[in-house]
Amino acid sequence: MNDADQSSPKTPQKRTATSGRLKPAVLVVMSVLILVPSMVGFIMKFLEFIRTFQDSTDGAFAITPMLNYLLASLGFFSLLVWAAANGMFRDIEQPKHQMLANDARLNAERAASLR
Amino acid sequence: MFESKAGIFFIAGIGFFGFAFLSNAVVPILMYKDLPEQTAEEVVNPNILYQFKELSRRYPDSFEAAIGEPTKENCAQALRLGRQVYIGEGCWHCHSQFVRPVSNDSKRFGAVSETWEYQNELQRPVMFGTRRVGPDLSREGGRHGSDWHTVHFFRPKTVSPDSPMPEYPWLFDGAPDQPNRRGLALITYMQWLGSWHSTYPYYEELDALAYE
Amino acid sequence: MSSATTNEILPRHADLVEERLVRWYFYAALAYLAISMTGGILMALQLIHWNPLNGIEWLSAGRWRMIHTNAVAYGFIANAFLGVLHWSVPRLTLQRVLSQKLSYFIFIAWQAVVLCTAAGIIFGPTLQAQDWVASLTDQLHLPMGLGAQGVEWGETPFWIDPVALLGLALVAANFLTPIARSKGSMYVTLWYFMAAFIWTFLTYAMGNFLPEYSLTGTSAGAVGGLFIHDLVGLFVTPLGWGTMYYIVPIILEKPIWSQGLSLVGFWGLAFFYPLQGIHHFLYTPIPMFLQYGAIISTIAVEFVVATVIINFMGTLWGDGRKVVTNLPVRWFYTGMIFYFITCFQCALQVTLTFQKLIHFTDWVVGHAHLVMFGVFSMWIFGMMTYLFPILLNKPWYSRRLCEWHFWLSAAGVFIMFLDLGLAGVFQGYYWSSLQPWDVSVTGSQPFWITRMFAGLMIAGGFLCFLWNLLRTARGRSTDSPTAVSAPA
Repeated sequence: MNDADQSSPKTPQKRTATSGRLKPAVLVVMSVLILVPSMVGFIMKFLEFIRTFQDSTDGAFAITPMLNYLLASLGFFSLLVWAAANGMFRDIEQPKHQMLANDARLNAERAASLR
Repeated sequence: MFESKAGIFFIAGIGFFGFAFLSNAVVPILMYKDLPEQTAEEVVNPNILYQFKELSRRYPDSFEAAIGEPTKENCAQALRLGRQVYIGEGCWHCHSQFVRPVSNDSKRFGAVSETWEYQNELQRPVMFGTRRVGPDLSREGGRHGSDWHTVHFFRPKTVSPDSPMPEYPWLFDGAPDQPNRRGLALITYMQWLGSWHSTYPYYEELDALAYE
Repeated sequence: MSSATTNEILPRHADLVEERLVRWYFYAALAYLAISMTGGILMALQLIHWNPLNGIEWLSAGRWRMIHTNAVAYGFIANAFLGVLHWSVPRLTLQRVLSQKLSYFIFIAWQAVVLCTAAGIIFGPTLQAQDWVASLTDQLHLPMGLGAQGVEWGETPFWIDPVALLGLALVAANFLTPIARSKGSMYVTLWYFMAAFIWTFLTYAMGNFLPEYSLTGTSAGAVGGLFIHDLVGLFVTPLGWGTMYYIVPIILEKPIWSQGLSLVGFWGLAFFYPLQGIHHFLYTPIPMFLQYGAIISTIAVEFVVATVIINFMGTLWGDGRKVVTNLPVRWFYTGMIFYFITCFQCALQVTLTFQKLIHFTDWVVGHAHLVMFGVFSMWIFGMMTYLFPILLNKPWYSRRLCEWHFWLSAAGVFIMFLDLGLAGVFQGYYWSSLQPWDVSVTGSQPFWITRMFAGLMIAGGFLCFLWNLLRTARGRSTDSPTAVSAPA
């Protein structure tokens, strides 16, 4: 806070230095933690579905809820793609730098007014 | 969408709250909408009326002054007031009112609680409770005589030496055999709990009592 | 856009922030915390048979237990966060609140609400037997007297509820206006604050009207559970995390690790948190499938919590020493570790297997103390430790007293948490083994005595803080602003 006036040039460098290595690692760990259990669950359900399909003559009906899930998921996926394509995730990190810069300037102004 | 003010206001602020309310509150409300809510008058049963009349005979002067005749209407009023005392004195923060199907609860307290038991005016809001410093009270009625209750409310350690329960001398006019209106009402409420159940202790005199 | 805003003429701090109001809110919060601690100590003494005031109506432990929780939720936490909001929202949005006059009105009204709640809880039951109260409740078909309502954390007497709700609406209007007027993308803190204003209003309305007037029995239980949970999850938690996202980057002088990840945390919390209410009433007659749903979403939210913790640890990365040297940072990160412990504990204790044993026991009480004191109060203390020197233009009177405050609070609450958790396990086994009830009470005595001393440690730390604050406020003003911004 003491060097509030020149805080902006310092921050971006620091960010790339530390989080550059950390972020991919966290991403991998989190993906494994979330994706592996959900994939296991999905595959189990899928095998169950295959068995039902093979065993019974009416097994084809089991395909109906399956299609529903797939269509719903596809809908959400399209929504995500649409949001990304429309720039809704663009420059998502900008406000955090802005906030710090504003705060530093407000502090400097307050300090000056007290002096 | 996910960073916009409108998105946060409508989707997170109102939408998700509404969704949770729908799934967590509206579902049980709809499930039990056919169970009518009984009034305090409707839940006065022979068991509690017996206890109420017993109270009037045991403490005739106090009862006459505070409540009057031991009628069904007065019993319902006493139940209402008794429940208010139960809430106001914070009883429900140390005593629960539901018997779980686990942890030997049903062996200790009696039958596992069911929804219909709570569908009455005296469970609005419901007194489930979240803590048991003392035992569950949903099957408490009839387990102790009203004289035990008076002494216990006046000074719990007299009858239960290890009890950390606070004393409630303000429910009495100076002595344990002189319960005031709030004291009598609270004891009526205590004796009512579980009185609708087949496990309620049986009294011979009960048969002789006409249920008005 | 970013460069455009930076080059704009910045509004003056003095025009944005009403510092006097921030101070007032903090003082009010500390006063209520003192009252709440008194109630807690009274209850603790009662349990170990040492209460010298046993049998005095207006000091009854049963009533003061409700003062304890209500003073902490609506007195301490609400006031402290309102102070923080008056500092942070105008500075984040670069906009004034809707009206400064309204702010002062809300301050006075809110103190009136909390004091009336306390008065209702203490004096209400005494009036219950009066004829005019009886006839009044009869005429209005009220299920309660003038005293506490029968909903946990919602004991606020019925005649204050409409005023409190109006107050919450005014708070929302006062702060949503600058947020709506702000330009550009919002910083993550504002997402949390914005949602919190709406959620608090809706939660309060839900818990203080539905179970009292329109719902009975099991449905009322479901709403009551939802209310208990939402009050912590949708009022205190978003304000707490919003504060953390605001202040930690400022003190560490670098941006939050990933605003994108905080988006995941926010939306995950917003979706999963409200769905969990029923987990407070497991094994009740509430339908079992609803209980399972509540359990699953509780476990799901722990993943969300993990993303938030990772984000803050990523922010701290490389500056770990500041946890030792910088007091506010230490408060914040200790609180965050406690938050992680609470949430991890929650994922376990919410399962039906755990519930059999620990429901109704002191385990839950320990959990509640860790989250309300160990997490949110710690963050508030961190915020106060940071802001008071700025607000008073004076450095802390004594760094040593600040340290005592921290260590006594942290150690006290952690001892209390371990002690009560263990007590809960003992109590659970005493009950399920069908020993006489008294065995569970006498067996709890050592734990309750330990708990009382842990509580006294917390209270001791608080007294250090109050003394330090008093000496600081009376001390000499500093001329150099740099000394101010380097707290302790």
